[in-house]
Amino acid sequence: MILRGMFKKTYTKLDMKARNVELQDAGEPQEEPNVPEGLWRKCNKCGRPVYSEDVIQNFYICPKCKGYFRVHAYRRFEMIADEGSFEEWDAKMEFSNPLDFPGYEKKFRAVQEKTNLDEAVVTGKVTIEGHPAVMGVCDSRFFMSSMGYNVGEKITRAIERATKERLPLILYCCSGGARMQEGMVSLMQMAKTSAALKRHHEAGLLYITVLTDPTTGGVTASFAMLGDVILAEPGALIGFAGPRVIEQTIRQKLPEGFQRAEFLLEHGFVDRIVERQEQKKMLGKILEIHEKNRWAQIGLFVNEKQTERAMIENVTKNIVIENKTENAIESTIKNVAENRTQEQENPAVFSKTPWDTVLLSRKSDRPAASAYMKTLFTDFIEFHGDRYCRDDGAVIGGIALFHGCPVTVIGQEKGKNTKDNVKCNFGMPSPDGYRKALRLMKQAEKFGRPVICFVDTPGAFCGMEAEERGQGEAIARNLFFMSDLKVPILTIVIGEGGSGGALALAVADEVWMMENAIYSILSPEGFASILWKDSKKAPEAARVMKITAKDLLKMGMIEKVLPEKTPISLEHLSEMTEQMDKEILEFLRKYGPMNGEALASHRYSRFRNL
Amino acid sequence: MFHKILVANRGEIAVRIIRACRQMGIKTVAVYSEADREALHTLLADEAICIGPAPSLESYLNMERILSATVAMKADAIHPGFGFLSENAKFAEMCQKCHIAFIGPDAQVIHKMGNKSEARKTMMEAGVPVIPGGKEPVHTVEEAMAAAEAIGYPVMIKASSGGGGKGMRISRSAEDFQMNFQNAQMESVKGFSDDTMYIEKYMEHPRHIEFQILADKYGNVVHLGERDCSIQRHHQKVLEESPSAALSEELRRKMGETAVRAARAVGYENAGTVEFLLDKDKNFYFMEMNTRIQVEHPVTEMVTGMDLIKEQIRIAAGERLSVRQEDIHVSGWAIECRINAENPEKHFMPCPGTITNVLLPGGNGVRVDTAIYNQYKVPPNYDSMLLKLIVHDKDREAAVAKMRSALGELIIEGIDTNLDFVYEIIGNEAFQKGDVDTDFIGKYFPAY
Repeated sequence: MILRGMFKKTYTKLDMKARNVELQDAGEPQEEPNVPEGLWRKCNKCGRPVYSEDVIQNFYICPKCKGYFRVHAYRRFEMIADEGSFEEWDAKMEFSNPLDFPGYEKKFRAVQEKTNLDEAVVTGKVTIEGHPAVMGVCDSRFFMSSMGYNVGEKITRAIERATKERLPLILYCCSGGARMQEGMVSLMQMAKTSAALKRHHEAGLLYITVLTDPTTGGVTASFAMLGDVILAEPGALIGFAGPRVIEQTIRQKLPEGFQRAEFLLEHGFVDRIVERQEQKKMLGKILEIHEKNRWAQIGLFVNEKQTERAMIENVTKNIVIENKTENAIESTIKNVAENRTQEQENPAVFSKTPWDTVLLSRKSDRPAASAYMKTLFTDFIEFHGDRYCRDDGAVIGGIALFHGCPVTVIGQEKGKNTKDNVKCNFGMPSPDGYRKALRLMKQAEKFGRPVICFVDTPGAFCGMEAEERGQGEAIARNLFFMSDLKVPILTIVIGEGGSGGALALAVADEVWMMENAIYSILSPEGFASILWKDSKKAPEAARVMKITAKDLLKMGMIEKVLPEKTPISLEHLSEMTEQMDKEILEFLRKYGPMNGEALASHRYSRFRNL
Repeated sequence: MFHKILVANRGEIAVRIIRACRQMGIKTVAVYSEADREALHTLLADEAICIGPAPSLESYLNMERILSATVAMKADAIHPGFGFLSENAKFAEMCQKCHIAFIGPDAQVIHKMGNKSEARKTMMEAGVPVIPGGKEPVHTVEEAMAAAEAIGYPVMIKASSGGGGKGMRISRSAEDFQMNFQNAQMESVKGFSDDTMYIEKYMEHPRHIEFQILADKYGNVVHLGERDCSIQRHHQKVLEESPSAALSEELRRKMGETAVRAARAVGYENAGTVEFLLDKDKNFYFMEMNTRIQVEHPVTEMVTGMDLIKEQIRIAAGERLSVRQEDIHVSGWAIECRINAENPEKHFMPCPGTITNVLLPGGNGVRVDTAIYNQYKVPPNYDSMLLKLIVHDKDREAAVAKMRSALGELIIEGIDTNLDFVYEIIGNEAFQKGDVDTDFIGKYFPAY
C-alpha cells in the first residue's frame, strides 16, 4: 500500500484560530528557537558534536569516544587541588624578548589577552587530598606551551621553593618544545630546570610528572622525563622529535600508536597511565605514601640517635646473628618436623623427596607473587618500566603500605593462566625486568623505604633479545648495587629460585624460603644433562644438588624456612600470610633501626662469608 | 500556541501526537531514521526529516540531531512521546537552552523523579507512603531483626549483590526470620562474597495502580482517576484498564489526593503518572513517578472524555487547565490490550517482518491506536509494540465482552503476534472476575 502523499493537510483552515489563541497568551515575545553558541562543541578526536556541559562535567573527556580534550591550566588546578587550597606563585612575569624578535611582543600580548594567562605555565602551592605539594601546569593554548625564559624561570623558581620548603613537586607537562622566538635562551631553560630538579632530588624530595597531550621537544628532554614517578594521560603524544618531523626525515609512515602514552608505557618510560577522573586520587595516594616519618608510627627508623646506637651495636650483632644461626636452623627444622607429624595422615607430603619439592615449587596452583602482594600489603601502586627500553611483565613492582608504612615491593610473576603466562613470559625476566627492579630499589633508597622481594622464576629469560640488551650486565648491576643499598632488603623465595635470575633479586639482608620452594644454581634437568648427559636423571640431581629450603638453611644460605602445613595454594594463602606478616614485621623491627652504612656492612658480611 | 511541533518519536505514539496536532491546527514535523522512511508517522506528518541511521542511538536518541532538526524546520516545540528522550533531563535542559518548548515537565523534575532514592526521599517528606525498609544495609541477625520488626512482617530479605532469586527470602514472622536471614546471607556470601543484606516490606499479591495527573504552569493539579496495570509479564504491562475493580470510592479519593500531593511536592507540570503498589489489605505505597505520557493513556481518555495529548500541548503552551477536579468524572469502563510483534511460543521473541495483511476491528467504543498498514515492514531495531486495542463500555463486564469480540476480529498476517495470548487472558475466569494481581500471568500462564 503506497501512502506517500495520500494524506490531506489539515492545518491551513485552522491556522488562524490557533494563532489567535497565541496572540492572547503570549505576553512577551518569545525568542526564536536556535542552538546557542557553545552549547555544542566538536570533539577533535571523533569529530562528533558533544554537549559542552557534559564535557565540563566529565573532566573534559568526550562522552562519546572517551577522547581527551586539552585542559586549561586553571581548570586543571580545579580538578586536582583541594578546593580553595591553590596559592599562585609568580603570577606576573615581566615580558622577555632576548632576541628582540620582531612581532613577538605583539603576538605575545594578543595570546595573553585571548587566553587570560600570563605565561604558558601556572605554578603554585596546593594540597591534594590534604597533602601539601608544589604544582605547576602547562597550558597548550599559550604558544603551544613552549618553554621560553619565563616558563623556565617560573618552573625553576617553583622547584627551588619546593626544595627550600621541603615539599613534593608535581608538574603537569605539555609542550611543543622550545620557544623559537627566544632562541638559545630557550634551549638553556632545559639545563636550568634540570639542574634545579637535581637539587630537589638530592634533598630526597618527591617529584611527579604527569605527561599530557602533547609533551614533546625540549620539555620531554628535560623536566618532563625526570620524575621519580612519571604518569601519563591515556593517548597523550609524548616524544622528543614530533611525528611529522620524524616521518619527513626517515621518509616512512609511522605506525599507529607510535609515541602515544601506551607506547611509552610499553617501552618503559612511563610508570602508569592514569585516567583523568582517577588522577587526583592517585596523586593523593602517592603523596601519602611518600609522607615522611610514617615508620615512626610503629616505632621504626625512629631518629638519628637511635640509628647511631644501632650502628655501634651492629658490629657485635653480626657475630650474634651468626652464632644464632645454628640454633635457628635447629628450631626451624624442628618446627617443620612437628608440622609434619601433625600431617601424618597425608603420606604423600610426609615422604616428600627433593624431586617432589621441585614439582611442588612449580605447581601451577601455587600463589604467584602478585597474590602475596595483594594479601600482605595495602594500597599497592604498580610502577612500570625500566626507563631504558621496555616494561617487563615478568617483574612487577611498586609501592605499597605495610601496616600503614611505605615499602617497595618487587616480585617475579609467572601469571595464572595462559594469557598471563605469555604476558609474564612464564616468570622469566628480561634485562628490562632487572633494570626496573633496580630502578625501584634505588627509588626506595632515596625515600628510605624497605624493599621486599618475592622470587619465583625458572631463571632469567634465555633468548636473543635478552642477550642483545645485556642480560648478564643487568643481573650483575643488581648484585652490585643491592650489596650496599641503604635500606633493608628482604627476599622471600616463594616458588622456584632459578639461578642468577633469582639471585638478582636476592642480595638481601635476609633470604627466606617457603618450605616447598627451591633455590638452585640451575634446574635439576639442566644439572643432570650437563653432568650426566641425561636430563631424565633430574630427580637424582634434585637429591644431590641440595636445593630445598631445609638443605639451604643447613648450609646457611638462607635465614628462615616458612613452613607450609599443606603445599600452599590460593585457598590457604591467607593462613600463610598471617604468619608471614608477623615475621616481616619482626624483620623490619630488627633491620629498620639500622642506618644505611650498618645495613650495607651487614649485607657485605653476609655474602662475604659464603 | 505553538506553530509547529516536532515529534521526537516513532510508531503509534508519534501518529497519536500528529493526530492531536492535526486536530489543533498545528503543523507537525516528523523525525525518522533510515529504517522508518515508509513509517506511518513519517508519511502522515506535514514535514519529515531524516535524523540518522536505524540504530536508536544514532537517530531517535541523538539529541543534537533532533535539536538541529527542530531549529532547521523552525518548529517551536518538541513532543518526546514515551521512551527514547521522553525522560531525559539533559535533553529537556538542552531544549530550554535552545528556546524550544519541551512538552513535558521541567528538566529538574525529570531528574529528581528519575533518581529512585531521591524520588523516595521527596515523597516521604511530602507524607506520601513509600514501601517500608530497604534503605539501610544490615549485616547481623540482630540488626536485621530490628529492621524487620520496625517494618512489620512479612518482609523480604534481599542480598545487596543478589540476583536471580539468589540471596532472597520471604519471612512471615519473627519465628522463621532468623533461619531465613541466615540462609539468604549464606547464599549471598557463597555466591557473591558479600554479606550485605537489606530488609524490605514484602508485598503479597500486590496490584499495580497508577494515577494520571495533569498540572499546569500555575500550580493547578488534577488527577484523572486510576489505571489498573496489574497484568504484567516480566514487569512489562500487557493489559490495562480504568477504573480498577480493586478500588472503593473512598480509596480512590484517598489515593487520588495522595497522587496530587506527590505531584505538588515536586512542583510538577504537564502530564504525569504516579505509580502505586496496592497490597491485599488495601495499603498503598508510592513506587515511582513517570514524567511523560504513558502507553496506556487511552484508557483514561476513554473514561474521562479528555484528550491527554492535547492537554499536554496546551499546558506546555502556557494555558491554564480547563478543568477542575470536580469537573472530572469517570464514566464506564475501558480496557487496553497491547499487541506486539513477538512470539509467545518462543519466549516472546520479537518477530519483525512484513505485514502482509491487516484488518482492524471497529464499531462503537472500539479504538485502535497503531502505525501499521498493509505491506508495512516492521523494522527489527525498535520496540515490538504494533498496536493498542482499546474498548469502552458501560461496565467492566460489557467492556471485557467487547474486548473479546474485538480481539477476535483483529487480523494481522505475515508476522507473529501475541494476539492469541492476550485473547486467552481475556477469556480467563479469574480475569473476568477481576481477581488479578501482578502474579496473574505467573499463576495462570506458568508456561509464559
